[in-house]
Amino acid sequence: MSRHFRELSVVGALAVVLIAMALFAPAFFQPQPLLSLATREAPTLVVACGMAVVIICRQIDISVGSMFSVVSVCAGLLAARGWPLLLVLPVAAALGAALGALNGLLVAGLRLPSIVVTLATMVALRQGLNLVRQGEFVNMPDAVQWFGLPQATGQWLLVGSALALLVGLGLALRHLAAGRFVYAVGTEAEAARLAGIRPQRVTFAVFVFIGALTGLAAMMNIVQSPQVQPLSGMGLELKVIAAVVVGGVAISGGRGNLWGAFAGLLLLACVAPALTHLRIEAYWEKAIQGAIILLAVVADGVRQRKQN
Amino acid sequence: MLLLYVLIAEWLFFYFAGTTTNRRGIVVGFGTLDRQFDILRHSCEIGLLALALTPVIITAGIDLSVASLLGLCAILFGKFWHDAGMPIPLAAALALGCGALGGALNAALITTLRLPPLIVTLGTYSLFRGLAEAITRGSATYTNFPESFLFLGQERWLGLPTQAWLFFAVAAGVWVLVHRMTFGRSFRAIGFAPDGARYAGLPVNRRVALAYILAGLIAALAAIIYTARLGQAKADAGMGYELFAITAVVLGGTSIFGGTGSVHGTLLGVAAIAVLKNGLASLPVVMRMNAAEEMAGLLTGALLLLALTAGVLPRLWAQRRPPPAAPAIASSTPPSPA
Amino acid sequence: MPVAPVLQLRQLAKSFGGARALRGVDFDLQAGEVHALLGENGAGKSTLIKIVTGAHQPDGGTIAVGGEPVADLTPAAAQALGIACVYQQPALFPDLSVAENIALRLERGGAFRTVGWRARRECAQDLLRRIGAAISPEAEVHSLSMPEQQLVEIACALGSGARIVIMDEPTASLTHQEQHLLFGVVRDLRKNGVGVIYISHRLEEIFALADRVTVLRDGESVGTHPVAAMDEAGLIRLMVGREVAQIYPPSEAAPGAVVLALRGVGCTASGVRDVTLDVRAGEIVGLAGLVGAGRTELARVLFGLTPADTGEILLHGQRVTLRSPQEAVALGIAYVPEDRRRHGVVLEMPIAHNMTMAVHRRLFRGAWLRFGAERSLALDYIRDLAVKCTGPDAPGGSLSGGNQQKVSLARWLATKPKVLILDEPTQGVDVGAKSEIHKIVRRLAKEGLAVLLISSDLPEVIGMSDRIGVMRGGTITAMLPGTADPHTVMAAALGQEETAG
Repeated sequence: MSRHFRELSVVGALAVVLIAMALFAPAFFQPQPLLSLATREAPTLVVACGMAVVIICRQIDISVGSMFSVVSVCAGLLAARGWPLLLVLPVAAALGAALGALNGLLVAGLRLPSIVVTLATMVALRQGLNLVRQGEFVNMPDAVQWFGLPQATGQWLLVGSALALLVGLGLALRHLAAGRFVYAVGTEAEAARLAGIRPQRVTFAVFVFIGALTGLAAMMNIVQSPQVQPLSGMGLELKVIAAVVVGGVAISGGRGNLWGAFAGLLLLACVAPALTHLRIEAYWEKAIQGAIILLAVVADGVRQRKQN
Repeated sequence: MLLLYVLIAEWLFFYFAGTTTNRRGIVVGFGTLDRQFDILRHSCEIGLLALALTPVIITAGIDLSVASLLGLCAILFGKFWHDAGMPIPLAAALALGCGALGGALNAALITTLRLPPLIVTLGTYSLFRGLAEAITRGSATYTNFPESFLFLGQERWLGLPTQAWLFFAVAAGVWVLVHRMTFGRSFRAIGFAPDGARYAGLPVNRRVALAYILAGLIAALAAIIYTARLGQAKADAGMGYELFAITAVVLGGTSIFGGTGSVHGTLLGVAAIAVLKNGLASLPVVMRMNAAEEMAGLLTGALLLLALTAGVLPRLWAQRRPPPAAPAIASSTPPSPA
Repeated sequence: MPVAPVLQLRQLAKSFGGARALRGVDFDLQAGEVHALLGENGAGKSTLIKIVTGAHQPDGGTIAVGGEPVADLTPAAAQALGIACVYQQPALFPDLSVAENIALRLERGGAFRTVGWRARRECAQDLLRRIGAAISPEAEVHSLSMPEQQLVEIACALGSGARIVIMDEPTASLTHQEQHLLFGVVRDLRKNGVGVIYISHRLEEIFALADRVTVLRDGESVGTHPVAAMDEAGLIRLMVGREVAQIYPPSEAAPGAVVLALRGVGCTASGVRDVTLDVRAGEIVGLAGLVGAGRTELARVLFGLTPADTGEILLHGQRVTLRSPQEAVALGIAYVPEDRRRHGVVLEMPIAHNMTMAVHRRLFRGAWLRFGAERSLALDYIRDLAVKCTGPDAPGGSLSGGNQQKVSLARWLATKPKVLILDEPTQGVDVGAKSEIHKIVRRLAKEGLAVLLISSDLPEVIGMSDRIGVMRGGTITAMLPGTADPHTVMAAALGQEETAG
């Protein structure tokens, strides 16, 4: 019970928000807008899964937003040239993985702090993209949107595959040795080394992993609209970090799981629509996000102090 | 010192490549005095943030929230003056106070709860900017400041852009604090060895708090200068400046791992970035592409990575080199299959 | 029938810098034997262990495992040869469950195999049951007490199927009941033909468990004996060996008024309890005891690092509270810490900066650095303490251990303290510097300083102290005169008062 207290408290908070909405703004629960909301958040969920793994490994990656934009634009360009989506998909994942490998090389290979490394790659990638594209949108052929399926089917497909990915990765993190290595390295890298795990290799792998997931998420992004915006990933990093931290993944590594991160994301995803339905101005969204991050971190800090 | 030569070379390059004579025979571009003043004027805010970050990074900390705090303080300053009808000096003083308060929030969370500076300031990075957006409802800006105030940001005084005098004053102040006072000594000791500093009886928490509060205060000053330069206070003021400031500090030789670093190095770093940004804008090829901002951002990111890499390579190299006796043993027996 | 010993060490030697930790040690371990390793702190036991587990490479000598000579022993190679070690400081994953901690140590295989949680749990359950530990395999390690973590370590060693198991003070933090369980495990291992190297300071354990005992002293083996042929007094004699050398400067103490008085001082967090002690001006009070007896912990209480929560501390008869190092420094208490490199000296900073670090307020009025004053203070102490360096600007890390210690000492002398606490001041210091430090400490006492000297070096603590407090289990269990003989002090530290002789 106490082990899952953190996750359960997030689920509890989510329940409170949902009940409040049911009482004061029942319009929130109409199926079509809910499905649209879920579809919009599906790529975020995929990136959040990657971020959870990175943070469990006691690292952080704030370049995901820029990677997301870069891969979205590149994949969009390929699709617009008539590449079949089934071929664009692995290319997008590979491109994301390659970008992640750059971060991983700098962090694991040179032992630089991940926050500064990914801050630099975040800006370099974003500005590089702007430099090449000058903010131009990519127009997509009709066949790309919703994979050429009817909208509702496409939406269900996206939400379904994001959820399937979540379940698959969540189980892998728990039941594959590789997943346990991530926890081991995040908890105590030196003990991991003594147990025969190579911490630098695991660190490199998690950055490649989040890169590949970001590539997939970008793919889920470009099929949603007739145009690909080059700024589509702006602020994504904060959103997923907030979701993951709120969901009980400790920033000090080694603790938390994807289920918590999922609950955290749901909670945060409900903030914006809840604000509009409860007639609070949407401009508060970022401030509330920041406050929620601080609250979650402070709660973890207080708990850790009590433990010692 | 290497950076000084790089800066000179960089400046000379842009002087020759970025200066042209227009059709009427007037010299335009990078090489003009006006442009040089312009560079100085435009680098004051990022320069101030870099100065704010130098003590913080010397203590082996980081503050990602300075640029967001700049935005929040700019909005608050505008609100105090415009909505509350305060005189400019009072509004400025209150804005400075709010900056210090924002820094104090970071400091409190970092020192009393022992939270990592990185995640605390990532949270306040979002919180401060979000508050600025909430206060302005995303779009409102404050304009129509009196001429006397705009003088600070748009005119010259004693030959230099007015705000440059403030910038130099702050630089001198931080330089003295870091290099000529016991505070700087403590920052270094904390950055090198936080436990060692505690065992030496230094007031570690108070010194760390000082660094973050000072950072908040300087960010607020940058906000006022920013407002005076643009003539308007807006919520997205200084967005993304934190990267340029961190880059300037690291380029200037301050170690991201704490301990070593200097304020004059930071100033050189600021100058190198400012010259790069403006110099690029004056190159004909870049002007044709109309992409100076993006190119500067790209190069700054790459520069930061290069500076970081250059900073750790000697250490890594030293680690890789095996101790003298080891190779003989290693070569005499094949590695065991385990 | 002669069987090759499972582990055989011949003429093993190892130096760190100039200090020789091992000077040619012979040791062998038979299968199915419990072989105790005994010696004072710093006699070379941990160096020996680290060589056997592959953490250190020896400078000379040979190692044979199961009769096969082994060169280039690495931690991985040692594991593959079936050598397991239970360290004093558990190397566990605090956020993971006990079952997973054990599994991560024992399981081998690729990254993409699935993890059998049930098998992990059962394996952990089984191992924990075999050592009789009442720990749930589901518990997260950070929620366990220190002794429980130690038991998890032991379970790992047990599960590894090793043929050589090294136990480094496994009972140091165990309760009586847990000790009995552990003894059962050790006997079990022996019955199964495993060779056990057992290190302990508790003589009764050695008599209860071990078949043979090897005593190390100053990096040399002073003999291996069957335990049945030894008694406690004999063992203590072997450990202490030499007479207190004459190199210690004579005491010229004329102790004055009580400067520091402790009345029932305790600190729950660090395990210090009920310490009562007086230190007079001009007096050197030694604190002897084994590692973990609470001496450093007491010093940390007195320096305000872990404030006392019971009892009272009096300074010149005035009751004082010490909640932070700053308060302690302001009241004239100085602490030269044990871990020189992490706490005593900031290695990257110049000697001069290190020396003035505790006197910022006094030397630098108004917080302005005065480089001239700083330099002359540093030069004074460099001359006064004979610090060998290229000048006050040399970084602390460029000095040898002894000279670093002098810098650390100078930092605190500059505060003009009334009470000076020295924690292992000569550990890892070469002989010459050691005797210089002794002379300095003597001189300081003569000048009226109250000195508290923590040392694991028995001759040092006896040679230097006017009185000796012996600590055990977080409190002072005996106050002995400075003229006490080593056997008495060692016996008191081991908790064997009756064998004094």
